[in-house]
Amino acid sequence: MVEFTYVVSSIIFGSLFGMMAIGLTLTYITTKVPNFAYGSFVTVGLYTSYSLYRFEAITPYLSAPIAFGIGGLTSILMYLGILRPLARRGSPLVSLMIATLAIDIAFVGIFGTYANYLRYTYVFIDSLNFTEILGDFSIFGSQGLILAAPLTLALITIGLYLLLTRTKFGVAMRASVENPSLARVLGIDVEKVYVFAWFLAGGLAAMSGSYYTLYSQGGIATGSGLIVEIFAASVLGGLSSLYGAAIGGVIIGAGENLLTGGGISVFGNGVLDYQKGIPLVLMILTLLVFPQGLASLPWIRVVTRIRRISGRLLGGIRRLSARGLRRC
Amino acid sequence: MLNVPSVVFLGIDVVKFAVNLGTAYMLFLAVSLTLNLEAGYTGVPNFGKVMFLAGGAAVSASVCGRLAVFILGINVHGDYNGYIVTVINQVNASLSQNSVLCVELILLGTLLAAGVGAIMGFLASYPAIRLREDYLGMLLLASAQFFQIFLGAYAPLIGGTQGISVPNFFGWAGSGIGVRDVAVLGFLTFFAISVFVFVERVARSPLGRTLRAVRDNELASRALGKNDVAIRRNVIVIAAAISAMAGALLTFQVASVGPGTWDRVTWTFWIWVMVIIGGSGNNRGVALGALSFAFLFDMIDQVQFVFQPYLPDFVDVNFLRYILFAALLILILAFRPGGILPEKSSPTLPKRTLHGIMGRENAKGEMDQKEPA
Repeated sequence: MVEFTYVVSSIIFGSLFGMMAIGLTLTYITTKVPNFAYGSFVTVGLYTSYSLYRFEAITPYLSAPIAFGIGGLTSILMYLGILRPLARRGSPLVSLMIATLAIDIAFVGIFGTYANYLRYTYVFIDSLNFTEILGDFSIFGSQGLILAAPLTLALITIGLYLLLTRTKFGVAMRASVENPSLARVLGIDVEKVYVFAWFLAGGLAAMSGSYYTLYSQGGIATGSGLIVEIFAASVLGGLSSLYGAAIGGVIIGAGENLLTGGGISVFGNGVLDYQKGIPLVLMILTLLVFPQGLASLPWIRVVTRIRRISGRLLGGIRRLSARGLRRC
Repeated sequence: MLNVPSVVFLGIDVVKFAVNLGTAYMLFLAVSLTLNLEAGYTGVPNFGKVMFLAGGAAVSASVCGRLAVFILGINVHGDYNGYIVTVINQVNASLSQNSVLCVELILLGTLLAAGVGAIMGFLASYPAIRLREDYLGMLLLASAQFFQIFLGAYAPLIGGTQGISVPNFFGWAGSGIGVRDVAVLGFLTFFAISVFVFVERVARSPLGRTLRAVRDNELASRALGKNDVAIRRNVIVIAAAISAMAGALLTFQVASVGPGTWDRVTWTFWIWVMVIIGGSGNNRGVALGALSFAFLFDMIDQVQFVFQPYLPDFVDVNFLRYILFAALLILILAFRPGGILPEKSSPTLPKRTLHGIMGRENAKGEMDQKEPA
């Protein structure tokens, strides 16, 4: 059976990847550029929470909103300062992709310099690579994050749903994503909408980075290392649907940890080395089998087909058991 | 004992610096030219370049090391990865006496790497010809990441995360200071120049024009009867094979191999920087881009002692370099998207004929202009 620690990590990572995938999908649907620097917004959150904890002993739950703000502003800066000017100059898609890769490298350099600053000036010897922050409250005999993270993800998803369907701004957002030129004709300030989407995206990443510090170790390249898993979650969700991204994140995060846990109990500890491969395999399979993701699957047909197959199976079992009974 | 002379200028050993720079440059040149063939000419956004180098390096290091041990009759108790560390000096001593075997093993390793690279390229091309470029970029980036994980996890190949040492196949060149480095540089120069000649010939042939046609307008090229799917696949396979050869040569040069050598920053991102600085779609530009990159990169290392006193002590040159090159790349993308030497249009006729036609056209144009007056 799967060990309990893997159940805990699957709940936590499932929720965190859900949040990150929602943000990544927001940046993709607005600019249509895969944002390889997105992982670094997670690192912004990591370092915000780490610094505030080391300086003022503030728990990451309280520093998460601050991280949300900082991450959001960084994200806006990247969009307005680099990506939008490049796109306006007519850069092709590949150039924009390589620009985001460059921004990610620059971020690692900036975080490295900042961590060194902390190390030399304040003698935080663990600043380049720190262990998880202790001091989470405890619940059900394990840490509070297993409740807080899913709850946050649920609240964010519900909040987004309400924003996008019940408010005028949300409807304008959807319109700007679906058809920017038509939205412009209707007098919607598409640019304002995009800036807001990028703020939300960076904020979500940084906030999940804050939560991340409570559970796992972090360093200057943690976010860059997560980018592949975040992409896997987004792609699984279809790269177009925010709810799909949330579900994709949960599947990737939970699947990675549950499969690893299950694999360890069956094949031994060797499976642990391949853990990070699981989301990649899921992503590659998604891209090859149904590249439009979960959101594109004809769910009604899938459900009826499953019902039909299960009905047949049940019928078969009933007939067999009836025959068996008769024989008795 | 033969030594490479040492000339010191401004506190830098010029000869040593030049040899190191040359070695780095030749490897960068070969790899960036293959990326140019893929991304610059054919429009395949290969964000997984490092995977092919690592594959070639791992397989050639593993196989050639085992072969050397087997041929020299050195006992590793049936556990090559476990015992190579203890017998490596013995292996190197025997190898340095046997230059023919060394060269044979280097050539075999490079050819083997080419085969491995071609197979990996073929596998990677399966999705590559079916996906849009953004999805393809993500897929290749993810696969490269997975391959690095695989190299670290699968111990029988190169001993897992620690890596293994590789026998010194250049030991025959001599034991003096820097003599081996010069021999390595010779091999690499020959390799890189062959790659340059090959890609330049491809680019200047009708095939080169076909590649650009596939890149610029897939539908139009298909309408003209060009099989764009096969063209893309072949380009990826060839580029992967050459990259894998470069990976094998790098492994023989540093005489060790491990998953840590093959990170995304060096062998995917820096290579992209070289291609974009130089001018994607122009082999000479890329050669220049790789040279300027390698020079700047090493120069920052060399002169850091000069400006270090003026910087706060927490500024690490390595991180500073990340920021500087990223900024440079973005500035080039914004203000000179074609690079130092932008891509030239490729004339379909010999220059003289073309000039003749153009001259006639111009003259006709002038006459047309005169007529209404």
